Amino acid sequence: MNVIEAKGLGKWYRKQGVGLPTLAGALPRWLSGGKADGFWALRDINFSVRQGQTVGVIGPNGSGKSSLLGLIAQTMVPTEGTVRSAGRISALLELGAGFHADLSGRENIFLNAAILGIPREDIRRRFDHIVDFAGLREFIDMPVKHYSSGMYVRLAFSVAVEMNPDILLIDEVLAVGDMAFQMKCLDRIRQFQKKGKTILFVSHALETVEEFCSDVLLIHEGRMIMQGNPSDVIFAYLKQYMVRIGLLNVEEHGTREIEMRSIRLLDEKGAETATFDSGSAMTIEIGYYARRRIAKPVFGFNIKTGNGFYVFGSNTQIAKVPIAAVEGAGRVRLRIAPLTLKQGRFFLSLAVHSWDHAVQYHRQEDLHPFLIRDVSGDKGVFQLNCAWEHQPTP
Amino acid sequence: MVKIITDITRHGDLIRNLVARDLKIRYRGSILGFLWTILNPLFMAIIYIVFLRLLVGRGGGIIQNEDIIIGVFAWQFTMQCVNSGMNCVTGNASLVKKVYFPRIILPLAVNISALVNFLLTLVVQWVLVAILLMAKGAFLEPATLWVPLMSLYHLLFNFSLALLVAAANVYFRDTQHIVNLLMSAWFFMSPVMYPLSLVETVARAHPWIGQLYMLNPMTGIITGYRALQVPGVAFPWTAASIAGLLLPLVILVIAYIVFQRAQRYFSDLL
Repeated sequence: MNVIEAKGLGKWYRKQGVGLPTLAGALPRWLSGGKADGFWALRDINFSVRQGQTVGVIGPNGSGKSSLLGLIAQTMVPTEGTVRSAGRISALLELGAGFHADLSGRENIFLNAAILGIPREDIRRRFDHIVDFAGLREFIDMPVKHYSSGMYVRLAFSVAVEMNPDILLIDEVLAVGDMAFQMKCLDRIRQFQKKGKTILFVSHALETVEEFCSDVLLIHEGRMIMQGNPSDVIFAYLKQYMVRIGLLNVEEHGTREIEMRSIRLLDEKGAETATFDSGSAMTIEIGYYARRRIAKPVFGFNIKTGNGFYVFGSNTQIAKVPIAAVEGAGRVRLRIAPLTLKQGRFFLSLAVHSWDHAVQYHRQEDLHPFLIRDVSGDKGVFQLNCAWEHQPTP
Repeated sequence: MVKIITDITRHGDLIRNLVARDLKIRYRGSILGFLWTILNPLFMAIIYIVFLRLLVGRGGGIIQNEDIIIGVFAWQFTMQCVNSGMNCVTGNASLVKKVYFPRIILPLAVNISALVNFLLTLVVQWVLVAILLMAKGAFLEPATLWVPLMSLYHLLFNFSLALLVAAANVYFRDTQHIVNLLMSAWFFMSPVMYPLSLVETVARAHPWIGQLYMLNPMTGIITGYRALQVPGVAFPWTAASIAGLLLPLVILVIAYIVFQRAQRYFSDLL
C-alpha cells in the first residue's frame, strides 16, 4: 500500500528581497503592474512510498529536499500537483521548535508535546522516563533559557521521540548533537523501522542513508533525478554532484598527450560501485588513450578523506612496475586488497605523468569519490592489523 | 465553519497549552505581573478623567467617571487582542514553518488568553465602578451579570480583527505601523472617553454621520457594557445600532475566509 504519493508536485517561490516584506515595498510593484519573479524550488516530482519503507532523500544544498518534506508535512501548499499521504505524520524537523525560553523544562515538555500532537496523557505517564532520558532531572524546573545548548537539544529530542506517528519525516536532525546523541537518534529510527513505520529521511550523511534506507530519491535543482536502491543512487550522486561542490580541489588538467578516458571502481565481483566494505577488495581500472608513442609513463593515485587529509599515495614508479611505453588505447588496473580504509567518504586522485615528473599528461584531482562502509566497531581512518594478548601473572 | 469547530476540538490540548504559555509568561515576567494589566487601563482612565475635567471645567462634566473606566477597560481588551494577534504568526515563525497544525489556533490562543486577562481585570473594574456609583448613592445594575456573556461577543469581534492583522502582518511587516495609526484614529471615533450623547447632537444635524457612527461595532459594544452596568445609561435601539451589533458576525466570516486563504502561504513568507 502506498502511504505517500506525489504526482506532478511543484513548488514555486517568489524571489524575496533583503529584509522583510512590506506594503511600502509591494505598492510600487502593484502600481507598475510588474509580475514578481520567482523560481521553482521543486517541479515535476513523482514518487510513491510504500507502508514500512524507509526512504532517503539526498541532493546538494538548496536542491529542494526540505521543501519536499514541508509539502508532505503540509506546512506548505504545493503550487501545482498533489501529494497525498495516509496516516498521521510527524516531523522531526527542528528540535525545540516552540520551546519558550522563560518556561521551565517541565512546562516546555508539555507545550512541545502539544505542538507535536502527542496526547497529554502519554506525556504524563511517560514524564519520568522523558526526564531521565534527557538526563535533566535536577534542572527540570529551571527556565530553559539557562540550559546549555546540549541540554536544550536533549530535552527537545526526548520529547520528540515520544511521538508515535504512522509516517515520520526526519530532516537532518542527526547533524546536531554529539556522537552519543546521534547513536540515540539512530537507535530510535531502528525502533520505528521494527514497528513497521514509514520513514522519510533527508540527510547528507550518505553512510547513514545507505545503512537505513531501502530506497533513495536524488533531487537536484528541484527535479527528481533518480529513484532507486541506495547504492546506485548514492553512486550516481557522488559521481555527478558531490565533486562539483568543491570540498577539495576537484580539477582536471594536463597536456592530454595521454588521456585517462574511463575510470571505473570495481568491487570484488567486478561490478562498478562507489561503496566498498572495509576489508574487501577494490580495483581501479583506468582506460587511457595515448595520442603518440610515449616511453616510460608513470601512473599514480592518491586517496584523501573528505576534509582533505592525505591518506595514501603511490605510483607505478615507486611500486617498481615500470611501463615501457604506451601508444593508442590501453588499460591500467590497480588492485587494493584488502582495502583497509575505515568508515567514511574518500576521494581518489589519478595522474599520469612522465618518468621525471616534468610533464603532467593528465591529472584528475579528487575527482572520484567513494564511500567505505564499515561494520566493525573499530574507529579511525585506517585499519591497523592488531592482535590482543593477555597474560595473567602466574 | 464546520472545519473551524473540528480544528478546535481536535487541537484542544494545543490551544490549552498555548493559552497557558501566554498567561504564564505574562504573569511571570515581572513581579507586578497581573498588576500591570490592571494599572495600564487604570492610569489611562485616570489621565482621561483628569484632563477631561481640566478641559471641560468643573461645571458640567460631560461624561461620568465610571463610563470612562468601563470604556477604557473594554478598549484595552480590543487593543490587546489586536496587538497580540498581530505577532502571533510572525512571532512563531519557526513553529509555523516546521510543524503542521491549523494556523487559526495561534490567533485563537492569544485571544483566549486576552479574554482570561480581561475577565480578571473586569473584577477590578466592577469594584471601581461600584465605588464611584456608591459615592452618588447608586448601585451596579443587576444586568451587570450579563457582562461576561457580552465579553464573549466582544471577543468574537476582537478575534476577527486579530485574524485580519495576523494574516496581513505576515504579508506586510509594516502592518504594525498602519494598524497603530488606525487604532488611534478609531479610539477617537469610538465612545471610549466620551458618552454617546456627545455624538447625538452632531447626529441630529447630519443624520448620516450618526448612522455611520452607530455602525462602528465598538460603539455598540462599549455602550452595551455601560448600559448593562450603569443605571441611567440606555442602549439606543435603532436600525443602525442593531446593524452595528450584528456587523461583527459578518466581519468574522470575512476575516475567517481571508485568514484561511492567506495561511496557505504563511510558511513561504515567514
